[in-house]
This record gives sequence, structure tokens and C-alpha cells, in this order.
Amino acid sequence: MSSSNASHAAQAPAVPKRWSRYKHPESLYSYGTWLIAFSVVVFSIEYLNIPLDRLLGMFGRMGEVIAQRYYPPDIDYVMERDYLGYVVETIQMAYLGALFGLLITVPLAWFAAYNMTPSRRFVYPVARLFSMSCRAVHETIWAILFVSILGYGMLPGVLALTLFSAGFAAKLFAEEIEAIDMGPVEAMRATGANLFQVMVFGVFPQVRVAFTGIAIYTWDVAFRAATVVGFFGAGGMGWYLKRSVLQIETERVAAIILSIIVLVLISEILSAWARNTVMKMK
Amino acid sequence: MDMRTDEIMARRTRRQRNLAIVGTVLFGLVVWSVDVTVVQDTDWARIGSVGEVLEAAGQFGGVDFSLFPDLLGPTIETLLIACLGTALGVILCVPATWFGAMNITPFKPVTYPIARLMMTLSRSVHEIVWALFFVAVFGLGAMAGVFAIAMRSIGFIAKMSAEAIEDIDYGPVEAMRATGANGFQVMLFAILPQVLPQVIGTVIFEWEINIRRSAVLGLVGAGGLGLVFFRQMNTFNYYGVTSVIIAILAIIFLGEAISHAIRRRMI
Repeated sequence: MSSSNASHAAQAPAVPKRWSRYKHPESLYSYGTWLIAFSVVVFSIEYLNIPLDRLLGMFGRMGEVIAQRYYPPDIDYVMERDYLGYVVETIQMAYLGALFGLLITVPLAWFAAYNMTPSRRFVYPVARLFSMSCRAVHETIWAILFVSILGYGMLPGVLALTLFSAGFAAKLFAEEIEAIDMGPVEAMRATGANLFQVMVFGVFPQVRVAFTGIAIYTWDVAFRAATVVGFFGAGGMGWYLKRSVLQIETERVAAIILSIIVLVLISEILSAWARNTVMKMK
Repeated sequence: MDMRTDEIMARRTRRQRNLAIVGTVLFGLVVWSVDVTVVQDTDWARIGSVGEVLEAAGQFGGVDFSLFPDLLGPTIETLLIACLGTALGVILCVPATWFGAMNITPFKPVTYPIARLMMTLSRSVHEIVWALFFVAVFGLGAMAGVFAIAMRSIGFIAKMSAEAIEDIDYGPVEAMRATGANGFQVMLFAILPQVLPQVIGTVIFEWEINIRRSAVLGLVGAGGLGLVFFRQMNTFNYYGVTSVIIAILAIIFLGEAISHAIRRRMI
């Protein structure tokens, strides 16, 4: 006992080493990562010409801007009949966009799901590319493109939201299809069911509940996007926002932004409730 | 037996009736919305025939190759705005995460609602609106874009991280408390290592989305590719618009490839 203690004492260094989370090779990687991250940040600040000195006065300036220009919000303005009509139009636009997007999503997700796609070599990459491009291009850019082709109005907004929702929902839905139990599918294939029958009776019953949840979530996200597509001429509340911004009616802008926040909160609560209800029905 | 069959049949009819009601309401909404948005609101005379629409769309059917050298700078700028914005968002979301995780929030009745409010506010305001606000505060330039991206990222990162923290294993936390570690040490060495993989995954996912967002912030004056897009659109250089979209697609696919590679290495 005493001899082992003595040998321990002999091996222990004179100064006890400080504990550190990472030992030698790992600590090197860890420091390296921090160094790279730090240099990227410094480089970007340099490259983007970000005036760091303005950061210090930022909170004061932010408070000043809000207090002087955006306060008090012109609540009466957003309570007018005209504006409420535009709110309803925004909701309709989001509803239609999400609905058309979901209609596209069903075949798109089928083609883009690796386990169920009719042809892995041709259809799968095309469907993947299409859904990725829909997602990659921001909804405002779709809105601008459709406005320049079709003119001002709600139709371009609906189309922009359609593509946006299709890209958004197709990814989630395809992942859902890829996670199904292949047992029923194989059983159906063994009995000689064709592609379409396998899809309708083997796959859809398994993903029905998940798809309903995704659909509700898509509506929620589409509504958030719908509040701004009008900013670029595609109808709805965004158009009001743009007009107030251009007229520098900042108190109206504040009121419109507040109304957007309230509406998004309501839609979020509704969609959470609806999703819970659907999950319970399962 | 009969009672049960009756009950089941009754439940089934009730369910079918509910579904029918929901379906009818949804379909009615579709008809009404189509009528208002597509039939009444659209200026069909302006759109003209299918051929004219195709012609208008065909204006974009080309690529302005001479624009590509000028696109390099804004593309890098967009990418860096996304990186910086995400980094700033991660820093800003630390308090929101801390207050928003039910099990570590310092004073539940006050701090938890504050954190939820921060998360909801961040997510419910669109990035374009955030950018408008920060352009008003900082003036035109990349800084407004960075802050807009950061504010918009807080909600998602904080929500996912807080949920991860709520699911941690308490063993290490209690072990560290028993050795006399203070609250900060517990957080750094017992909680953070457990949630780190999930948080990094979330941050990378958000970074990928932020590239897409930063590409449009220029539309309202916050720098990057959006500004070039806006200029090409206003000068009716439609081939140039296509070039900008190709550049946007390129960096987004690059971001997706990077995030895919990192996530696969982590798992």
C-alpha cells in the first residue's frame, strides 16, 4: 500500500497539471477550428466594410429610431376596412399558394423519394433538381419574376407561393416517404400491383398523418411568405407595406409590422392546434 | 357486443361527418379564393394570350455571360453576410436558449416568457422586414444585412437548442454540482457537450437557409447579390437577371454540399 503510494508520488509531476477538456491532438484541432472561425470573421468584417465603431452606438441609435420615427404606431390605419380587405387577400393568397404547392408536392415527392421513385436514373434526379431549385430561389425572387411576366396582381403572388410551398413541402414529404415500412409495399408488388396502386394503397396510408401535418405547417410558412411577396408587386399586405415605406410614413410601417406579427402569431397558434388535433386522430 | 358495434358505428359516422364538413369548408374557401385572387384581381387583358405570356417568360431565356466577372464580388459578399449573420445569430441566441430551456431557465415565471417572446418575434418577422428596419438604423450596406440575418436566425436556433437542452441526461450535471462546480461551469462542461452535436447540426441547417436569405436582402438595400438582381431588373437586362439567378443557385448548391458533408462527418 505504502509502496504504491510512494511510486505514484514519484510519477506525479511536481506541479499538478491543470485539467483541460481536450488532450494534446484534440486540443490542437479545437484551437485550429477557433482560429479558422476567427479569421473568417475578421476577413468578412474587412471585406464587407462593416463599421465596427458604429456597433457601440447601435443600441442608442436603435432606441432613437424606434422612439422618434416608429412610435407610436398608427393603429387606426391598420383597422381601416381597406387594410383588413388586404389582410383577407393575403390569407387567400397564402391558402391557394400552399394548396397548389401541395398538389404539385404529391407527385414530386413520390418521384424524389429514393425508395419509391419510378426510375432512379432519370426521374429521381430531375425531381430532386426541381424541388431543390424551387427551394433555392427565394420566394421574393419568384414574386419579382412572375410580376415581370404577368403584371401586378395576386396571380403572380399565388404562383410564387406555389413554387415556394412545393419546394418546401416536397423535401419534407419525400423524407417521410423514404422512412416508410417497405413490408406492405413489397407485399403489394408481389401480388402484381402496378406503381400507382402501390403508391395509393401501400404508401399513402403510412404517410397520411405526416402529410397532413406537413400540409398545415406549409400553410403556416406560406402565410409568413405571403406577407412580403406583395412588397414586390404581388398583392396583399406587402403592397401596403411598400407604399408606406416609400412614403416614409414610418408610424404606419410600424403599425403594419405589428399587424403582421400578430397575424403570424395567430396562424402559428392555429397551426399548432390543428397539428395536435391531427396527431390525436391517428 | 351490439352496444359496442353501435358505438363504433356512431363514432365512424361522426368522424365521416366531421371530415365532410371540414372538406366542404376547405373546398368553399378554394372557390372563393380563386374567384377573388385569380378571376377578379387579374388583369387578363394585360397578360394576353398564352403566346404572349410565353414570350414574356422567354425574355429570361438566355444568359448574360459578360456579367459573370462582376458577379464574383457580390457572390462572395452574399456568402459572407450569411456566415457573419449566422455567427452573430448564434451569439445572440445564447441568452434566448438559456432562458428558453424549461429546466435551466433562471427564474421561470419571468425569463421563460421573455425567451419565448424573443423566439416568436424573431421568426414571425420576415427577413425583408428585418432588413428594412436595420437599413433604417445603420444605413445602406452589408451591416444591415448581417443584423437582419442574425435576428431572423435566433428563433429557430434557440428553439431547437432549448429543446435539446430539455432532453439532456442529468447524471453529469449532478456529478459536477457534487464536486462544487458553479452554474457557469455546469453549463460549459456538463450541458454543452451533450447538446453540441445537435446544436451544430441546427446551426449548419440555418446557415444553409441564410445563404438563400442573404441573396435577397440586397433588394431592400442590404448588399450582396440582391442588389445586382435589382439593378439588372430595373435596367431590363433580363439575361443578366438569369445570370444572377444562376449565381444564387450556385452558392446555394455549394452551401448544401458543404452542409451535407459536415453533417455526414459528424454522424
